[in-house]
Order: sequence, then structure tokens, then C-alpha cells
Amino acid sequence: MSRNRQIFLMVVVVLAFVLQLAVMPQFKLLGVSPDLILVVAVVIAVQDGPVAGAIVGFCGGMLQDITSPQVMGVSALTKTLAAFAAGMLKDFFMTYSILLPVLLVFLATIFEMCLYQGALVVLGQEQLPPFRIATIFAESLYNVIAVLIVYPLMRRFKFPQKEDSVILTRPSRT
Amino acid sequence: MPSAPRSNRNRIILIVIILVCITVVTLYVRESDKGPLHKVQNFFLDLVSPVSSAFAKIFRPIKDGVVNLFHLPSLAKERADLQKQVAELQREHVETKEMEQQIAEYKQLLHWSETQAELETVGADIIGQSPNNWERLMIVNRGSSSGVKKYMSVVTEAGLVGRIISVGSRSSVVQLMTDSRSEIGTRDQRSRETGIVEGKNDATVRFTPMKEDADLKVGDVMETSGLGGTCPPGIAVGKIIKVQKRESGLDRYVEVRPFVQFSKLDKVLVIITPEPESVILREAQ
Repeated sequence: MSRNRQIFLMVVVVLAFVLQLAVMPQFKLLGVSPDLILVVAVVIAVQDGPVAGAIVGFCGGMLQDITSPQVMGVSALTKTLAAFAAGMLKDFFMTYSILLPVLLVFLATIFEMCLYQGALVVLGQEQLPPFRIATIFAESLYNVIAVLIVYPLMRRFKFPQKEDSVILTRPSRT
Repeated sequence: MPSAPRSNRNRIILIVIILVCITVVTLYVRESDKGPLHKVQNFFLDLVSPVSSAFAKIFRPIKDGVVNLFHLPSLAKERADLQKQVAELQREHVETKEMEQQIAEYKQLLHWSETQAELETVGADIIGQSPNNWERLMIVNRGSSSGVKKYMSVVTEAGLVGRIISVGSRSSVVQLMTDSRSEIGTRDQRSRETGIVEGKNDATVRFTPMKEDADLKVGDVMETSGLGGTCPPGIAVGKIIKVQKRESGLDRYVEVRPFVQFSKLDKVLVIITPEPESVILREAQ
């Protein structure tokens, strides 16, 4: 990953965090708002691999943790694992269609929310059964809508890697 | 083979991240509310709260717009329901006001009829007016089935209205005292001078005294005299507003303003008993 790409990803994480903090709560539908940080982490996992997604999930999740009255570290952990899992799952699909991140975001949201709720139960912060299926599906669908906007935007910013860059030349006529 | 070291490095990074997360979670859960992690969290919470609040204010109109957009069908239905409710309440309000007004009028009529112990009356509603400007007539919803007969007097608590000139089974026609064909025997309450009040299709009526030099003054109250046999005596008619001596003629021009406001009439009383003498005489023949 090039230095420019790394800087770009940092900017994206901070931007997603600010939007998540300030803007997304204003657009709650059915009591839920999209998890933009998770969406960005999954998109980066699709584009740059599972570890890049995991790092973005960790940074975004930790930013969320220190600015919300939840148990610190839980969101960072769940987003890290969800983004990593999405990045690993990507290799099973041989497609670059937008349907891939849509599916991965949908699955990652369900996975992350279940993981988050499970972690809170383990930590004694929630009691079983804390799961609300309707909320999980609503946020998953909302995140799917978000990824339809985020993924095409992220694809616009491409930074060629030095070791992978190739020079294409027109084949000479014989 | 660069992929193997990179894969190892990635694995290490992931493990480090997970370990960091677990450590942070553990420390956070185990420390007290005044621990360093809680302090950091509180610090950042204080820092971002005004930002969140400011953004909430900025996005409030947009949010409301979006929410309203989603609730547009239900809002339209709610609006229609509320409009129906408003219309219903307005109608009820008007009906209530109308009923209050009617009750007040009935009370006044009742009070008047109670004070007139010797008179038996029947209440009636005005249900029609004369269709042209050449006569002053009203139609009431009481007829022969209610005991109403021709020439019976029609009054309100304010005074004389007129008399019945036509009777149907369930309705009657009242000739107002302002009608040009109306002639009613009256007298001056103060001087007891008698005469006839004649209508002139106007808001006022003309009083013609029997005596040329009758004692009449502006402000005198006129009441029915009972002469003529149609109206019982003592019913208020109006007040003299003008006494004018005519140079050319012999009689004086005395103008009387009736106490009853005919334009606001809604309910009246028909005096059933005593019956008009003319009816009694006619029925005797």
C-alpha cells in the first residue's frame, strides 16, 4: 500500500468518524442509523485486504469508543473482526461487482452487531436476550444503502502501488 | 517470496489489534469510574458533545424534512382527519352557540309569559318571511293543530309583533304591525290617550290618536288598548319618537318605534287565551 493510500485511508476514517458522530444520528430511520465506520472498514477490506480493513475498523471503532459512554474497546474489537472477516470472505468471490461489498456489508453488520451484543453480555453490561432481530436487520439494510454510496466514491480514489505498477505498451506490428 | 513474510506481518498486526482491544476492554471494565480510561472517555465526551449538539441543530430542518417525507402519506391522512375534526368541532360550536341563543330566547319568552298570568301562549318558531317588499309577513310553525286561530296576537318578551291573518294546520301567517294593512288599537301608557297604530312598511309605525289634541310626548310608551277585539290590552307596542303637527291637515303625525326588532325575530309567542273577540263573534254567528 502506498504512502498516499495510507494517508487517504486515515482521512477517510476520520471523515467517517466525524460523519458518524455528527450527521448520522440525525438520519435515524426506525430507530437506527447507518454505521458508516463499519461500512468504510468493510469497503477498505474489499479494496485493500482484510488487514487494512481490520486496522481501519480498529481505529474507527476506538474513536467511537472514546467518544461514547460505552465500554471502551468493544466497538474497536467487533469492527476489527467484522472488517477482517469481510476481507477474508471476499476471496471466496470472483467478482468486482458492487453486489460483493453490498453482500459483505450486510453480513458484516449482522456479524458485528451480534458480536457487540455478545461482548456486552459477556462483560455483564447487557442481559440475555439483548438481541433485537428487527434492529439488526434494519441497520444491515441501512448500511447496504450507505455502501451503495460509499463504495463508488471510494473506487474513484486509486493509488497505484510501486511494486505492482506495470507499463502497458502497444504490441509492435510485425 | 514476499507473500509469506507479509502474511505473517498481517497476522501479527491482527493479533496485536485484538490483544490491544481485549486489554483496553479489560482495563476499562476493571477500573473504577475515576480510572484513566474513564477520564479519557469523559474528556472526549465533553469535547464532542457541543459538536454533536451543533450538528444536531444544523441538521434538524433536514432531518425533519426527511422524516416528514417518509411520513407524508400518514401526515396527509392525519391532516385530513384533523380537518374533519375541525369541521366537526366548528359545526358543534355553531350548534352550541345556536342552542345557547335559543335557550336564552326561550328563557326570556318563558319569563314574559310567566309574568302574564292571565295569558295562555304557545311558542312558535319563525320559519319564513314574506317574499316581497310590499308586505311585512312572517310564517310561524304553529297552526290550528296547536290551537292557533285567525287574529290571535303574536308577541315576544319585548312587545307586540303582529297578529295571525292566515292559519294552516301546522303553520300560520303573521301580519307584522309594520305591515301597511295592519291597524291595532293602542294607547299612551302615561296619558291613556287611545288611537290606532298603522304600519307603513317601514321600521316605524304611525299612531293616529282618537282626539286631535291628545296629550302625546316623545318618549311615551304605547301599549295595546284592547279596543278592536284582537289584541289583549297592556301589551307594549313601542315608543313615540316623533310628534309632528301638520299644517295642512287636522291630525298630527306621531311616529312610534316598535320595541320588537323584527329583523332579529326568531321565536315568538302566540296568545291563545283570551281569544280575539272577533273570532268569538264569528264563531258565535
